[in-house]
Amino acid sequence: MEEDPNLLVGRETSDDAGVYRLSDELALVQTIDFITPVVNDPYDFGRIAAANALSDVYAMGGRPLTAMNVVCFPIRKMDKDILREILRGGLEKIHEAGAVLLGGHSVEDPEIKYGLSVTGVVHPDRVLPNNRVEDGDSLVLTKPIGTGVLATAIKAGLVSEAAERQATETMATLNRYAAEIMLKYPVHACTDITGFGLLGHTLEMAVASGYTIRLFVEEVPLLPEVLDSVQMGLLPGGSFSNRNYCAHQILQVTPVDPMLMDILADAQTSGGLLISLPEDCAVDLAAELKSRGVTGAAVVGRAMGRSRGVIELA
Amino acid sequence: MGQETLDCRGLACPNPVLRTKALIEKGDTDRVTVLVDNAAAGENVSRFLGRTGYSVEILDMDGVFHVVGLRKESTETVHIPSQDTKISVENKIAVMVATDRMGRGDDVLGSKLMFNFIETLKEMGQELWRLVLVNAGVKLAVEGSESLPALIGLEREGVTILVCGTCLNHFNLLERKKIGETTNMLDIVTALQLADKVISLS
Repeated sequence: MEEDPNLLVGRETSDDAGVYRLSDELALVQTIDFITPVVNDPYDFGRIAAANALSDVYAMGGRPLTAMNVVCFPIRKMDKDILREILRGGLEKIHEAGAVLLGGHSVEDPEIKYGLSVTGVVHPDRVLPNNRVEDGDSLVLTKPIGTGVLATAIKAGLVSEAAERQATETMATLNRYAAEIMLKYPVHACTDITGFGLLGHTLEMAVASGYTIRLFVEEVPLLPEVLDSVQMGLLPGGSFSNRNYCAHQILQVTPVDPMLMDILADAQTSGGLLISLPEDCAVDLAAELKSRGVTGAAVVGRAMGRSRGVIELA
Repeated sequence: MGQETLDCRGLACPNPVLRTKALIEKGDTDRVTVLVDNAAAGENVSRFLGRTGYSVEILDMDGVFHVVGLRKESTETVHIPSQDTKISVENKIAVMVATDRMGRGDDVLGSKLMFNFIETLKEMGQELWRLVLVNAGVKLAVEGSESLPALIGLEREGVTILVCGTCLNHFNLLERKKIGETTNMLDIVTALQLADKVISLS
């Protein structure tokens, strides 16, 4: 383990990004994330991959300043216009985040991958870790889930155009707007929902905080056609792993439909923020998010008391 | 009347489902066997076939999953290869546990043995059908019980856990039950009657 008094968030808490204090007023937030295509359109993929990478900075309570492209592309075999479109989508999101592109690095690779290395800043006293859930907290989720299932359904060509569009726009939406509203509230802990799914990241928060967290399954917003796609057999392999990994730390207070359980475990790309704050503030936060365009926001859970870290489903 | 086998080993999701879909959309396939090499693909193909009007069994043979779908109106029966088949649903075993300790002699030892027993029950595999908890056995299913994770695991594997409501009430544990269906004596008697084999621990 790294030892340095200025290292505020390092590897050990499985948090979203690293945080390093530069002065009493300023800390550096650093993160890198790159992914394989989740939609067919290269411009949309660029937007989604960039939003996904920028999200880690927002989840720490920070503000992105600079970004660098990370690219793997079969440059000799594939049309360069595809790469241009990916980078155009990415740059658009970097600018929307108020950050600037400094450069990047590319590698020839048979499989396309794209993402960003992002540097941001945060006040050292206002870092939002994932491990400070407290008694009386409720949890607010800011985006609907199901992007892993829908990305698989899109690959299979088994989803309507409307559902594909909504999944694409959900993934391409920056967590910036949700984060800016969140920062006005007394938030105890925050993370963003990505590869481990809602179940996995909630469990991570529960274990790191030493709490039992109850998820209200019916309250979790789902993208359209997700349930149908899971019943068709379109759950990605990673989501199965999530489900099996979490299984032993889950208590079903009321029985949950196995298909719904799979969606809770579904690996997300560029998912929403999961925010832990006092219950009455959580209700206000969800309402304000909704009224200001973060339409997928909902109160989805509650801290139930100290434990080694358990998820209850009700 | 067709019978088809599809080798989808080495394919990642959603490809096994797509290949299966393409095959049965050609029509006339009463019985389809899809080979996949990972549990996720097996579950996905099984769901797809289940939804498309097939009854499905998954056979795990040395890491190759044979997903066998039989069109429901068809009269053919699924032939299950013997020996190396891990999944068979011919025998239904009901285990009734009427104590939170195993045996008499030393209570601390008895609790540990019971913990071990519940942990190890999964080795019965698919034949384990119901677990009935009565009298002090219900204490295994309440919050704080060390056996909860194992019970959760069993329930996920499809074992129905019946917890005696009268007993929970007697110990004042109704509110603290964490797993299983709270049930009555009629359900318990019916479960014991329908089981092919009953193992009782008291």
